Parts: sequence; structure tokens; C-alpha cells
Amino acid sequence: MKRPFSVVAVVMASALSVSTSAAERFDQKLPADKHALHALNRLTFGARAADLAEVKRLGIEKWIDLQLHPERIPENPDLAARINALTTLQLATWQILEKYPLAPVMLRIESPLQSLTALQVCKLMQGAPVDERRAVIDGLTPELRRQFLAFGPRQALDGLSDLQQEAASARQADQQARQMEIRKLMPPLNELLTPEQIRTARTGTDADKLALFNSFDADKRKQVIRALGPQALVNFPDLRREALAAQQPAGYVNQELVEHKLLRALYSNRQLEEVLVDFWMNHFNVFNGKAQERQLITSYERDAIRPNVFGHFRDLLLATAQHPAMLLYLDNWQSQVLRDDIRPAIGPNGAPLPRPGLNENYGREILELHTLGVDGGYTQEDVIAVARAFSGWTIYDIGRYAEFQFNPAGHDRKEKRVLGHTLPAGRGQQDGLDVIDMLARHPSTAKFISKKLAQRFVADAPPASLVDRMAATFTKTDGDIRAVLQTMFASPEFFSEGAWRAKFKSPLEIVTSSVRALNADVTDTFVLSQRIADLGQPLYGKVEPTGYPNTGETWTNSAGILGRIDFASALTGGQIPGARVDVSRFNFKTPAAVAADVLGTTPSAATLSAIEKGVQAKEATPSMITALVISSPDFQSR
Amino acid sequence: MLTRRYFMRASAIAVAGMGAAPSWLVRAAAPGETKGKILIAIFQRGAADGLNIVVPHFEKRYYELRPTIAIQPPGKENGAIDLDGRFGLHPSLQPLKPFWDSGNLAIVHAAGSPDGNRSHFEAQDSMESGTSGRITEDGWLNRALPPLTADASAVRAVAIGAKMPRTLRGDRGAIAVSDLQQFRVRNEGASSILESMYAKAADAQLVAQGKRTFDALKTIESISKAPYTPANGAQYFGEFGNGLRQIARLIKANVGVEAAFAEIGGWDHHSNENGQLPPLLQQYGNSLAAFAKDMGDRMEDIVLVTMSEFGRTAAEDGNNGTDHGHGNVMFVFGGPVRGGRTLGQWPGLEPEQLFERRDLAVTTDFRSVLSELVSGHLGQKADAAFPGYVSTERLGLLRT
Repeated sequence: MKRPFSVVAVVMASALSVSTSAAERFDQKLPADKHALHALNRLTFGARAADLAEVKRLGIEKWIDLQLHPERIPENPDLAARINALTTLQLATWQILEKYPLAPVMLRIESPLQSLTALQVCKLMQGAPVDERRAVIDGLTPELRRQFLAFGPRQALDGLSDLQQEAASARQADQQARQMEIRKLMPPLNELLTPEQIRTARTGTDADKLALFNSFDADKRKQVIRALGPQALVNFPDLRREALAAQQPAGYVNQELVEHKLLRALYSNRQLEEVLVDFWMNHFNVFNGKAQERQLITSYERDAIRPNVFGHFRDLLLATAQHPAMLLYLDNWQSQVLRDDIRPAIGPNGAPLPRPGLNENYGREILELHTLGVDGGYTQEDVIAVARAFSGWTIYDIGRYAEFQFNPAGHDRKEKRVLGHTLPAGRGQQDGLDVIDMLARHPSTAKFISKKLAQRFVADAPPASLVDRMAATFTKTDGDIRAVLQTMFASPEFFSEGAWRAKFKSPLEIVTSSVRALNADVTDTFVLSQRIADLGQPLYGKVEPTGYPNTGETWTNSAGILGRIDFASALTGGQIPGARVDVSRFNFKTPAAVAADVLGTTPSAATLSAIEKGVQAKEATPSMITALVISSPDFQSR
Repeated sequence: MLTRRYFMRASAIAVAGMGAAPSWLVRAAAPGETKGKILIAIFQRGAADGLNIVVPHFEKRYYELRPTIAIQPPGKENGAIDLDGRFGLHPSLQPLKPFWDSGNLAIVHAAGSPDGNRSHFEAQDSMESGTSGRITEDGWLNRALPPLTADASAVRAVAIGAKMPRTLRGDRGAIAVSDLQQFRVRNEGASSILESMYAKAADAQLVAQGKRTFDALKTIESISKAPYTPANGAQYFGEFGNGLRQIARLIKANVGVEAAFAEIGGWDHHSNENGQLPPLLQQYGNSLAAFAKDMGDRMEDIVLVTMSEFGRTAAEDGNNGTDHGHGNVMFVFGGPVRGGRTLGQWPGLEPEQLFERRDLAVTTDFRSVLSELVSGHLGQKADAAFPGYVSTERLGLLRT
């Protein structure tokens, strides 16, 4: 802008003009020569020149139909080989729990109460007089006494101040002993290497680093890799993996999941399936930072989401409702009917802990976020009734098996009224199953899901006519997702001017589409995944159950522009470890030609003239021109 | 090798793509300007242990509840630094004592959100939203700013960090900067090209966001060129210290900073609290003190307010640490502060006085503290920043 005239006025004016013309523009057909690019922009993680040719060869409808039936698409053999190397992806949850604990060294503390007799426990825990408790404690073997003082429940020592002091020092001594043992098992870097060696390991050349590592025997090498940590080893993918597995086993599992997701997004031939896995994982969001989630999400995506992405919504809903990842994330595994007959446990300061009871979190979110939507017509009473219906849906042995279990003792058997229907009293798991059916078939669900799909695939504010038609298909086919997608892709609104380039790319999309447009060869996805996180979208890392938004304004509002510019520059400049870009095919090409190739279409006048003027000033390399195209506003849209 | 027709004299480029300098930049450079008020929000992520940070050493119960990890009373070895005969600072916060003595540090204890959520992320989100138990898309500090005008500074609201914190999210124009030196377009020649591309983008949001980014870029680039030496011998250390240093640098450059945000994590001490808290508090206290020292007289216009999503259990747990709690301590620090006092109502630590019989209760809503600063210091309407909240008390945090 040449003058700092009112930004506010400009923004308002153009926003208004955009919204009124958008409504008309959904009625305007997109010219046929843009259909292929448009279909690729929406059904894949980024158009590539080769894909454009393929779509034109097959014909749009045929190509879309193929993508809707991924089993008919031969998969990329390279991809299969790389994914098979990610061994944790195939493991059952119990195997992950066994092999990849949350912390590398679990020094277990057995509760000292286990070694006492029932009478002793009773006296200590139920407030027997001071001298009786003292007698019990003094009667223990020295070792057990020390353990009890250090780790036993505090209330047992009420009024025994000398024992409390002894307990304090016993705890401290044990703390120190434990720390020493951890240091022995996992020595820090400065105990393993000389300062000179540390310098090499951190800042030396890749060749020097490798030489250093190889100079150690196997055990020492393992310790050094672990102590250095994954971040210091980004140039050595195998060592990086080893370091991560040693430092954070569960984090390693999560990273393989991220790697798997990115490899598929970048290289799978079954692109629509990958887009849908992303869509549904996001819709049924879980957060990898909560408790044991990192050990559960591998199975969640593989077993609950992926098999159902094209199927019936009800099956998908049930699969997520019963998966430990969701039960844990939204706390339903702890939700149970309030039992007046059970004595509450005693807390650390001698007061009774609140009794476990109903947890409404899942009841609320399944209505608000998974099915009806916040305006779908449910009340707070419905939330509670739904929570009661799912009470007792819990996780069996979360530490060793983490499987779905229905616990009859935790289930509220009283009658419930959900959305006008009565669930009779006296039933068990059927209550929850009936709610699943009810929610999956509710007309608001058809609308809510259709709108979300339209937001992802068509435009941030999809026209009501389209959403209604999709919802009608949803209802008619009992929630057949493939059928709803077919309605959407065949609609006039899909191939309309209103939909053309109307979506702002998310961080995941900008990174994957850049890699795909440049045909980059990605041998390690670690740094790419960090870049996506830096841009605001850590994969599997969305805290809130809403998942990442399907609309663009979050990404334009955050400080993302500079990040995207920086990413483009780093990618084309070969500064992203694991991602190799060869821009030599752009040698001798004009900016217009480079832009057309990367964007798949002619760039806007503003972008083109800016680049052309810019490259006249200096000797602009193909790498710089490509970076400018990838940074351009044009490339931010799909 | 590109053909010759893509080479041109440099002069044409200097004009193309560069807008005229924003008027505020020109204006603000004049010396002797009246400078605006600045509010800085500091978030301690992870639930800092308020009871060990500002120690209620007069409470016998405190020592009963925390036989291992309690901070000793003033006078004892490693004892608290006495403030007013009742409360004391953790010994690692020694750098802040002079500011208490000079009346520039006020402490509000038993403060926080009435919502009893003990989930870090949810509680952080709702505190940053400026609500109790609800999450909004934008944050209280963004809403507290006056609406954007054409000549608003591009760096009026700065969050230190790689991502925009919820506190400053919104439409009042905030930017996130992790490092002033890094806040630039890598390839210098590309900057003006990109700016002109974004100025004419089809998406209006993108145009606005682009303008904000490139204006901020120019501002920050001009600041980063000059080397920075903190004044009065102030020395910052640690990541948090470095964050405050950047804020100091930006403020001193007189480029129109009105609000800033910095965060410091690592407070979630479920075990070995007395091994972890001292070094963290050292960095924390030192950074705040260094900032004040660095800003010098300018502190007359600046208020820093600290908060954490909730406090920790009154009693220690079985691992020499504490679990998630409720009430916590907030610092209000700056030139205009009526300090040297502990404010708020102390609820006591007897079992029936604790929240759910386990945590320090909340007797001052965090929004009371923040609204007083938004209206009294920034001169803005507090109800915009804290929708649905009406403050019923006046803590008297600021000198009038």
C-alpha cells in the first residue's frame, strides 16, 4: 500500500463484497479446464504435475470414483516398504504398554501396606490411638519400618511427630538413593564424554560425529545417544529414533505415528482416504499429551478410525466411543454411578476424598462436538442422561491391557430420558448402545456432519443448499459417509466459482502441498513434523476436543505468515533435514513458468508482477523463485 | 544463470513495493513524547506453588501440612524473607525484596479462578480467555486493548514465543515474536517482494495480517540493527530472562508497545519440589528484577502482573512435591503500583478452610486483579476484557 489509509475500512469493505458475491458464485460453474486442479486441491494433500496429467487422462469422475474406493487403487510400493519399517504401528496396545512405557526407567515403589496384616492396616488407617499405632510401627522389621515411614500414608503418623521427622529423613534418603540409581542407569552426558567430545557431538561435522559415536563400544554408544537426545541427532534419522526411544519410549511410539501420517499424506496414492483419516481423527480428537494417550493413539487411528472413514457414521461413532483413547481423553473411563454404599477413601490430610461419580465430559462432548453440534437441540438434562447411559464404559487394566470393558457395577441402571426417548431402567451396556444409535440417526447429526465435510472440502461457509442435500443423503443412507461424499463431489457447488481456491491451507496442508508440488524426496519426516507444529498444528497434539478448525481464520489470525515464508525458504534452500528438493528442473524457466508449474495454474497478477520485478533486481536462483511462489498468497489457498 | 533481461538497476526496486513509513513510526521517534502505559502479563505455566513462593510463615498449619517441603520461617537457615510478619518470600526471590521495600511490588494471595478445574490445559485456556471455566477464541489482554485504528503500531501487542498465546489472540492486532533477531525474512531481497504480494492478496484477512506482519518486520528490523545493552547494569539470564529482555528492548525503542506477554514453564512439581523450585525462582525473580533495573525510570508507565492456572495442594504429596490445587499467588509489579502490601483475604489452612479440604481457597478472583489494571492502568473498559464479570472489590493496586 502506498498510503496508510484506513485499514479498517478496506478490510470491512472487501469482507462485505466477498460475502455477497460468494453466494452468487456458488451458482457459477467452474470452467472445465480448472476441474482437475480443483479436484486435486480438495481430495489430496497437494496437487502435483503428474497427478494433473493422470486426472485428465482418466477423466475427473472416474478419478474421483477411484479415490472413493481406495481398495481399487494400487498403493505406492515405496511407501509400503517405508511404513513397514515403523514397527510400532502394527503392535497391539498391550504390546505397546509392555515395550514402550511412559518413562524410560520405572522404579516401582510397592505400597508398604501390602506387606502388613489386615489388622495392622486397619489400626494404622482407621485412626487407632497414638500408642497403638506406634506399637504397630515399632513392631515392624527394620526394613519394612523404614519403607513404611518413607512411603506409607501420612495419616498413620498423625500425632507421632518424632516418627514424622524420621519419615522425612527416610524419604529424603530414599530420594537421594533413587536419584543415584537413575544416574547410574542413565548417566548424564557430562559423565559419559569429555568436554572435547561433547563439543564434537553437539557442534562437529556429521562425519566427525559419526566417527565419535562409532569409536565407542555398543553399551557406551547407547548411553551417549540416549543422553544426547533426538534434537541433537536430526541429521541421523536412525540414531535420532534410537535416542527418542531411549529417552521417551511412549514419545517414540507417537513419533512413528506422526511419521506414518506424513509419509502417507505425502506419498500415498489413496489420497482421499488419507484426507478422510485426518478429517475423522480431527473430528473425534484425542490429545497425545494427556496421561497415557501416546500409548493408545496408534490403535485408535488404526482400529477405530481408519477402517470406518468411508463407512457408516454409526460404526465410526461406536468405535470411538468404545476405544480406550477416547474413554481416557474425555474421562468417561472414570465415570460411574455414585455409590452411597461405598466408604470413600481417605486423602493425604486425613479428610475423605470426594467419591468417584458421574463425569459429564464425554456426555457433553459427544453431543456438542461429535454428533448433534452445539445448536443441535439438546439440553443440560440430555447431557447428564447421556453421561449416565455411558457410565460403566471403562478401560480394563489401563497399565497392561487398556481394553474396553463394560463395568456393570459402575453403570447407572435407573431410567433415563435422552432427547425425548426413554431408556428403560434395569439395563446395562444397551443404554449406551441405544444412545449411539439415537445420536447417529438424529437429523441434527446429519446436518452437522454434512456441514463439517462441506467446510473441509468445499468452502468455509458452504451454501445451505449443498449442506441440506448432503444431509438428505446422510439420512436416506443411514449415515453412509461414502454416499454423502458422492453427493458432495457431484454437486454443482463443488465445481463452482465459489469453491475455487476458497480454502486457506492449514499448516499440515501448506507443508504437504509444498513438498508434493516440488516433488521433494522426504527420507525423514521428523523436522517436517516440527515445522508443522511450529506453524501451529502439532499433529495429534490438539488439546481441546474440538480438534483443529476446518475453517481458515485461525491460521490467518496467528503469527503464521512469517512462519510460512520461513518454511518456504528453508525447504527450497535445502535446510530441512530429511527433505531434499531438486529445483534444477526450474533452471532457465521464467518466473511465470515456475509459478504456473508449482501452483498448477496461472498466478495472480499481483504475485507474478511482484516476483518479476523482484528478480530483475538481482540474480534470482530457481530456489529463490520457488520459495517466493510457495510463500505467495496464491499458494496459501487451495 | 538467468538471461540478461531479468537484471535491472536497483533504483527501481527501492520504490516498488515499499509503502510510506507508518505515521506512528515517524511520530513516536520524537523525543520528549508522552509515552503510553504498558501492561505486561506473565504466565507461569504448570501451576506454580504459591504457598512456597509467598510463604505464610505465621501459619502453624503450613508446617504441619508440609513437614518436608515447607520453607523455613525467617531467621532460620534457608528461611523465608520476611515481608510483613505474616508472609515471606521464598529465599530464591531475594532480587525482588528491594521492590517490596520501595513499594513497587504488591502481592495478592489466595487468588485465582473460582472454577475448580485442575486440568492444566483447560484451566490455562480459561484463565487466558479471561473467564471462569469457559474458553473463548480471543484472550483478555487482546480485548483489553482499544480497537485497531489505521495508525496503530504494528507492535502494539507483543507475545514472546513461537506461538500466539490465547491471552493475546484476537482482532486487536498482536504479533508473536520468539526472538527479535530471528523475526525477519531470511532472504532480505524477498521481503519487499512478499510485502507487495500480500498487499494485493484476494483474501482480505490475509491482506490485513500481511500488513501487520510486514510493518512489524520493518519496525523490528530497525530495532534489531542497533546492538542492545541493558541499562543500569541489569543482567538477564535464562529463557524467561531473554524474553523480558526482548520486551524491554521493544519498549525502549518507542515503537508503541501497549501490551506484552511472556511465559515461563516448569512449575509442575509433583515430586522433589525443593530440588526444582529454587533454580526456577532464581531465574524468575532475577528476570523480573533485571527488567525493572533495565527499564529504570520508564517503570513509571509499566505494570507487570503474574498468574498461574491454579495453585498446588496445601499438603505435600508422598514424593516431596505437591499435586494440583486451587488458590495461588499473583504479583503486581511496577512504578504505578501501590506495593509493599499483601492483598486479598487470607482464608487459612485448617481443613474446613481449604477448598475441597485439600487446596488453598480462592478469595480474590483473578479477574478482579486484572480488571483493576485494565481500567486503572490502561484506561480501558474492563467489561470488554472480562465479559460477564463484574468486579465487586477494589484492591487498590495502583497509586492514583
